[in-house]
Amino acid sequence: MIYYACDIPEDLYYDIERDVWIRFDGDIATLGMTDVAQTRCGKFAAISFRNIGKKVEQGKALATVESAKWVGPFPAPFSCEIVATNEAGFAKDILLANKEPYTDGWMVKVRPTNLDEERDHLVTGDEAFEKYKARIQELKVNCLRCID
Amino acid sequence: MPKRIRLLYMEGVSPLRSQTVYHAVGYAMKEDTPNTIIMVSPNGPYVSIGYHQDMQKEVDLDYCTAHNLPVYRREVGGGAVYLDSGQLFTQWIFHKEDLPASLEERFKLYIDPLVATYQELGINANHRPINDVHVEGKKIGGTGAAQMGIAEILVGSLMYTFDKKTMSQVLKVPSEKMRDKIFESLEAYMTTMTEQLGSTPDRAMVKDLYMKKVSEALGMEVYEGEWTAEEEAMAKEIDARFTSDEWLYQKGQLRQQGVKIHQDVHLIETAFKSQGGLIRIIARLHEGRIDDISFSGDFTLLPVFALGALEQSLRGVSATPETLKSKIEEAYYRLNIQSPGVTPTDFTTAIMNAVAPPQPV
Repeated sequence: MIYYACDIPEDLYYDIERDVWIRFDGDIATLGMTDVAQTRCGKFAAISFRNIGKKVEQGKALATVESAKWVGPFPAPFSCEIVATNEAGFAKDILLANKEPYTDGWMVKVRPTNLDEERDHLVTGDEAFEKYKARIQELKVNCLRCID
Repeated sequence: MPKRIRLLYMEGVSPLRSQTVYHAVGYAMKEDTPNTIIMVSPNGPYVSIGYHQDMQKEVDLDYCTAHNLPVYRREVGGGAVYLDSGQLFTQWIFHKEDLPASLEERFKLYIDPLVATYQELGINANHRPINDVHVEGKKIGGTGAAQMGIAEILVGSLMYTFDKKTMSQVLKVPSEKMRDKIFESLEAYMTTMTEQLGSTPDRAMVKDLYMKKVSEALGMEVYEGEWTAEEEAMAKEIDARFTSDEWLYQKGQLRQQGVKIHQDVHLIETAFKSQGGLIRIIARLHEGRIDDISFSGDFTLLPVFALGALEQSLRGVSATPETLKSKIEEAYYRLNIQSPGVTPTDFTTAIMNAVAPPQPV
């Protein structure tokens, strides 16, 4: 679903406050920046990931992103252990998340460590879209993607 | 109760503390911490590198060691910069809900009081979006933004003086010629309050003026406060991290092509192997046009005056392959240039490799 050029795929889960999307697959979750997040961040200039195996508390940084004008964390939507990162993908093309935030531009794969206690804020489907519409209006965002 | 802004005024702290202080206030921020502006300057010179830079690749460490210049990695992006007591850093540590959501608007809010301060001093400064402050095409300070904990940070400076010579010395560059060009470009495209006014304004007066302009821009009272024991403890913790080899020598992947002088001006150096020999190029780009260019290498180009004439013919030319090739071909024809194994296409490719380097596959 698209709103102000921002794509909000309905099959994903979202931590809207942290602007993170989540795709659950068994006990592993793939995480990435939403279209809104990559637009607000701007073109990536560099990214550094926390080590595989590291346990990260909810809200803490799984990676640090640097764009042309800003440095900040890619935050964990729930406490987790990092099992994979897309470091190789970003090494080939630093703009991956600016081009394809929901596919090639995934950031990390994690194993949640306290999901039962920390998943109430996650939303999906129509609920996610409605909440994102409000957020997009509040932030006055019009999403932009980089192209090759 | 209306919100007020706490000012922490810290002139003459150690170089390390001039960086760690805003990280500390940022990471120590809680829901009830007031929005804070720190005005701080170091009591000695140092080099600050960007979060994702590789210090060993970007900084001339031999020079820094020989001149007792410490190097610190900040958690703000961008490139390496030489800093000293000639700058008064203005660091905002705010709750995100008290700043505009968009970075463009956030920088405008941050830069407006800097511009207003300069203007009241009689300097014709303006905001060059997104995040530079310019005076008639010259930069008088850049800014940066970051998130630390729950705090949103904006950093920049009021520039009394800037040591352009030492700035050009601390960078690791491929050649001394490039270093000379950096210095020349800083002279051409950077300015300071002292240069603009003919003398250095009184620092206490500038501080009061900036506070007044901040208060007007934000519509909030600014009061001079103290930092808390918790913030100071956090600063000590960050001091230790910032001086650890693990932090300093971490391998950053930020590789910028050349040296950014300001938003519109970049200096680049590149080499291209043609059949007729290696072509080395140092070029300065100003708003996408070639502002200055010099060729060197081991190729042959005749007549002997043709190299200078070729360089001259490219000044002011838009840095696109079609325009460059056409200009170079025209110079070849006009000057009857002979260059065994080197073609106008080679020169064009060499320049474009620097302007828009090929992407890795």
